[in-house]
Amino acid sequence: MRVFAATPFAAALFALPVLAQHGMYLSDSKNPAIGNPEAIAAGTKLFMGSCAGCHGPDGGGGARGPNLVRRSLWHPLSDENIFSVIRNGVADMPATKLPDDQTWNLVAFIHSLTGPASTNPVPGDPAAGKAIYWGAKAGCANCHSIRGQGGSMGPDLSNIGGSRPLAVIRESVVEPAKDLYYLGNEAATVELKNGQKLEGVAKNRSNYSLQLVDTKGALHLIQMRDVKKLTISDTTPMPTDFAKRLSRTELRDLLAYLAKQDIRSKESAQ
Amino acid sequence: MIRPVLFALLLTGSAVAQVSHEEIAKGAGENWLTYAGTYSGWRYSPLQQINAANVRNVVPKWVYHVPGARGLQSSPIVYQGVLYVTAPNSIYAVDGRTGRLIWRYADPRAKANGANRGAAIWQDKVYFTTTDNYLVALNRHTGALIFNKQYADVAKGTTSTSAPVIAKGKVIVGSSGGDGGMRGFLMALSADTGEELWKTYTIPAKGEKGSETWGDLIDWGGGATWLSGTYDPELNTLYWTTGNPWPDYNGSVRPGDNLYSCSLLALDLDTGKMKWYFQFTPHDTHDWDAQSWPVLLDTEIAGKPRKAVLHANRNGFFYALDRVTGEFLRATPLIDKVTWAKGIDAKGRPIELPNIEPSAEGRWICPSVKGATNWMGQSYNPGTGLLYVLTLEQCGMYFRSSQQPQPMKNFSGGGATEEGGQVILRALNPKTGLRVWEYPMTGLGRMWTGTVSTAGGIIFSGDDDGNVLALDAKNGKHLWHFNVGEMLTASPVVYSIDGKQYVAIASASAVFSFGLFEPAESIASPVIEIKKK
Repeated sequence: MRVFAATPFAAALFALPVLAQHGMYLSDSKNPAIGNPEAIAAGTKLFMGSCAGCHGPDGGGGARGPNLVRRSLWHPLSDENIFSVIRNGVADMPATKLPDDQTWNLVAFIHSLTGPASTNPVPGDPAAGKAIYWGAKAGCANCHSIRGQGGSMGPDLSNIGGSRPLAVIRESVVEPAKDLYYLGNEAATVELKNGQKLEGVAKNRSNYSLQLVDTKGALHLIQMRDVKKLTISDTTPMPTDFAKRLSRTELRDLLAYLAKQDIRSKESAQ
Repeated sequence: MIRPVLFALLLTGSAVAQVSHEEIAKGAGENWLTYAGTYSGWRYSPLQQINAANVRNVVPKWVYHVPGARGLQSSPIVYQGVLYVTAPNSIYAVDGRTGRLIWRYADPRAKANGANRGAAIWQDKVYFTTTDNYLVALNRHTGALIFNKQYADVAKGTTSTSAPVIAKGKVIVGSSGGDGGMRGFLMALSADTGEELWKTYTIPAKGEKGSETWGDLIDWGGGATWLSGTYDPELNTLYWTTGNPWPDYNGSVRPGDNLYSCSLLALDLDTGKMKWYFQFTPHDTHDWDAQSWPVLLDTEIAGKPRKAVLHANRNGFFYALDRVTGEFLRATPLIDKVTWAKGIDAKGRPIELPNIEPSAEGRWICPSVKGATNWMGQSYNPGTGLLYVLTLEQCGMYFRSSQQPQPMKNFSGGGATEEGGQVILRALNPKTGLRVWEYPMTGLGRMWTGTVSTAGGIIFSGDDDGNVLALDAKNGKHLWHFNVGEMLTASPVVYSIDGKQYVAIASASAVFSFGLFEPAESIASPVIEIKKK
């Protein structure tokens, strides 16, 4: 029975490739509207007037239009492609008659929602956020590393700003157990048939093999035929109380710091 | 906050293993720790579980399809059963027993195009370079970024394609882009920080010794170092080959020998200082880079024991030099049809035939622009005492453009075409430079696969039609082949995990790993307990 109980969970695991968190975005756009606060402000107005009805005011999706922010994770579009979807429409979405510059303003706004955080203006004080990140109150570095510093149990965050929209980073800090964020990072205990016991994070798992990073950061490639018992958590090992643990300002600053983490940024993170 | 403490209380296992200089210097075994398997460039494995008698029982064990890959050129690094395979601007850690992806790191915003030929490993880090010259160091267990540091400017025409070579904590990186105008160099970077330790240009600056062998284009002279070199720990010397002078096909704008293009350089590992050089093709006008890599071997040549360096050159000749002094010892034809030089003289300089320069109408010359051999990995097998080299019997037309050369505009001073041709795997005797046997292949001369040879008396390679193959190292007899269904453009490696030997090779789009047949076994599901939070 226990084996059967585990099956749906294992099936969910297959669905996601479990990868280091790098390089999700397609390309850097060359249009000057991208990342330009004035263009984004102008685009916001256009979006609220014509797009928010279907896609939601924050691009988070509505009854008739998809979630633009989440969509960027599994099907990223280049800015040029977003431009052409706005111009020509797609499926039930109508074409528009906006001139080029206004269309680019709209793209700039959507980019600010869906593009990597490091390419967009982000509120908050990254220097204050840095202190929060590395300090005891948030304790991020216990599990996460940035450019070689910090723990190795959680995903590396060296490129989190260069690969994720701000809204997605925010969601994974505040609601780490939501949806499938934790998959590929479940706390796990493995008892091998030879008596050895391993404790760590299950990075990748199938019916036949399991990759486990132990508490010292060492990788173990385990064949399931060698496993006597696997105990695995059904949720994230990450604390779920950051919305309470940090003040609104602290959270904003922490996000501002994370938004700056980009492997293509010249300045060092520490 | 509680969980890290919990983890800490349940510590198990031993200290995390670190790849040391000694381990790399020992050469390939269970692991494959440097581009050519050994610092001496042998691509040789002492493993012998798979041998000439049982290789017919070899079957594919797994395939890993590298996302979006085309024409992979990566030679995997293997440590403790994990393969590290590169594609341009990305690297993949794959379980060597199952082919499952462990992690990947990608940098899709790199600002250049080009191939990538492999990774390097040192202590607990894995290294590769991006097309736009960042050295990237990653935690080998998790793929987490440790540092990435740009060491050269893509705006000066330099890109990166080769696998770094790490010796004594120095990461040696080369330079690509010699066909478009750039100044070639070799650099040593700190494995700990990526800081520059030394940089040695392969083309002298104006006024420096050797600059008299150039005209005004010396600043863009090429001499790229686009393939990994080799290293002699005892002499503490790096052996690195250099590419063609620029512009490739128009020699009239660069009068002289064009030092140190198309050469072998011997450099001190600690300082990068040049100990000696040897130029194979002075004033090259046929894009005959001096890749492939130099093979280091102590052997008897002309009755005298030598610390030799062997080099199969794109220009059609197979060279032997003294690697202590750089003295030229011998050159023999690598292929049957060489029409640009009658031979090599006693000092090592080619005896050129007339009318070999590319022209406006085109000049028909053998070998072709691809060369008599290229960057396909050679291997030396101490058991047979033979060196295995992929060669190409092919001729081609060479054209010269009279257009004013402009660097970094994709201009090479002309062009070349090649026609027909045949790939032939040849076994050479390093003592004499003569062929012992050969294995001709059917195909269009498009393969780029190298070789690996083992103590099991086998050579693994690929043919010119997408077959991975095994030959008897003694006589070249075909023993086994497997069709991967697409062209092979990389060299195989051999490794072992859990007492089982594997041979792995990247095809155009995937990594294949092979081993001896074992009947499948049913895997019972273990007890899995899901813990509710």
